[in-house]
Amino acid sequence: MVSTLRNNNIFGVFDDEDLFIAAMKKMEKAGIRIKNVFTPYPIEDVFNILGLKTRMPYTAFIYATIGVMLTYAFLYWTSVIDYPVIIGGKPTNTLAFVVILFVMTINGGIVMSLFTFFIIQKLGPGKPARVVHKDITDDKYVIVIEKTEEMSNEETQRINSALFENGAIEIGEKENVETI
Amino acid sequence: MYNTKIRGVLVEGNKSYADVSRDIIAPIENTAPGWWIYAFAIGIGALIYGVWAFYITISEGIGTWGLNNSVAWGWGIINFVWWIGIAHAGTAFSIFLLIVRQKWRTSINRAAEAMTVVAVLCAGMFPLIHMGRIWMGFFIMPYPNTRGPIWVNFNSPLFWDVVAISTYLMASAVFWYVGMIPDFATIRDKATSKVRKAIYDFLSFGWVGSARGWLRFEALAMILGGLTAPLVISVHSIVAMDFATSVMPGWHSTVFPPYFVIGAIFSGFSMVLTLMIIIRTVYKFQSYVTDSHINAIAKILVFISLIMGTAYCTEIFIAWYSGGEYEYYTFFNNRISGDYTIAFYGMIICNAIIPQLFWFRKIRKNIILVFIISLFVNLGMWFERYVIVITSLTKDYMPANWSTYSPTVVEIGVYVGTLGFFICGVLLFLKFLPMIAISEIKGVLKPTSNGQYLKK
Repeated sequence: MVSTLRNNNIFGVFDDEDLFIAAMKKMEKAGIRIKNVFTPYPIEDVFNILGLKTRMPYTAFIYATIGVMLTYAFLYWTSVIDYPVIIGGKPTNTLAFVVILFVMTINGGIVMSLFTFFIIQKLGPGKPARVVHKDITDDKYVIVIEKTEEMSNEETQRINSALFENGAIEIGEKENVETI
Repeated sequence: MYNTKIRGVLVEGNKSYADVSRDIIAPIENTAPGWWIYAFAIGIGALIYGVWAFYITISEGIGTWGLNNSVAWGWGIINFVWWIGIAHAGTAFSIFLLIVRQKWRTSINRAAEAMTVVAVLCAGMFPLIHMGRIWMGFFIMPYPNTRGPIWVNFNSPLFWDVVAISTYLMASAVFWYVGMIPDFATIRDKATSKVRKAIYDFLSFGWVGSARGWLRFEALAMILGGLTAPLVISVHSIVAMDFATSVMPGWHSTVFPPYFVIGAIFSGFSMVLTLMIIIRTVYKFQSYVTDSHINAIAKILVFISLIMGTAYCTEIFIAWYSGGEYEYYTFFNNRISGDYTIAFYGMIICNAIIPQLFWFRKIRKNIILVFIISLFVNLGMWFERYVIVITSLTKDYMPANWSTYSPTVVEIGVYVGTLGFFICGVLLFLKFLPMIAISEIKGVLKPTSNGQYLKK
């Protein structure tokens, strides 16, 4: 989840995808906990290294199921219970509902997945962007490591040198960066 | 993994990531060029004509159109179906190619999606004003009312249309906007003026490109794509059922839903081709929309054109083979011969014959010819809807009901108005929004650059 608590962080900026991925691997190996990474486009390796998974496809399935059930309940209530209209003896609970059910399944899946995305990712119109480095939406890759209060100077130094040795072109500190 | 040898380089000219951002943001940062202003003025002119026609239609009624008792659907429905067909471009491009993981979609999907949203808005206009009393439009919504409550007919394709098209508009708009969020963030971070920065900051929803953000973003894109792909099939199948569930000769046919879906994708692809050729030429985006892209679209068009040709032949064959005399009359005496031969042969030539030129590599490589052929397909698809709507209605079962149809200046005005709306909408998109998906291009830049990628 995104954390908005006050915190301080060290970040390293990379200008090459391969160096950045290699640096992530080496730092994970060296036991340095990566707090978050920022990239200009999605990179599959990042998800693998950090072991990130999402349950959104499952929730989408649930939403679609909710969509179809609510729609069927509505159609049944209106056409069978509330005001049944008998036309040529045809059944009021009819197979022709399938078209609307199909569309509303999709509708439910899309609308609720969208809101889920915005809510869990805490995105919304006018939300101020906490940008770690001005070029992360352009051509730079950033690794962020949290600098805790109990961290000694040596440890901070070790993180800085690990970033530097692995090819970071710029190292700095930034407060209040969101966690993965 | 991705095989570069089959498709070739997707982005030409050894672009770096920074180049991609700069190139695509440039039209937004720069002032509008002269041609843009002229084209926008033309669009506004057409729109003004449309607003007048719209006003006349609403204030005086549908009687100002060329419709009569027999031909109750005229240009209004022809143009509705034509626009809905064009609106299938975004889905065809963006979504079908996304779920089959065709990376070459990245240069074109954004413009195709924008086109879709504007085209659906144009299409939706027609059934609304065709109601005659537009202020009663809300009757189509199933809400608890004081008239019983009597509900709408949930078994009518006309109501299915309302549900499907509004869902399609919502889904396309959502897919389009969500895709733009990372690009808005890029524009925000690169903006030179404070006003622009504030606007794109608002639009970017606070996007920063974190690892989990990207993971969920990709998951959402796949969910939206996966759900919208079957939707597009259903939208145009339902439009086809508006016709096919009636008992009109020439409409009452089981081939209609697949035939309409394929036709829609055909017109969508051709409109994309028309627009992408204009965009790559005027914005000098040949590095992004490469000859290979144009070649790929042309190959798809020739394939779909064959399906269209098969569908036309099937209809004609069944009209003869079924032994139905009304069906036979509609096809053989009122389409192949009779008063509407121009539209019929226009449709056959533009849709089934001219695109066959794309079999030749030389023609696929000649951008001007490709552009002209794409215009022919757009025209041919309009003729197709004209043939379907008008020929069946003018001469049905009772000769006493036969009548002819020609549009009035008001009907033409509504159509020209939607064209103006489309032109203005697309031009505003080109000026103010990222017309190529920046982050998606970056995602395919390195793996598909064939080792040509150079860091700058």
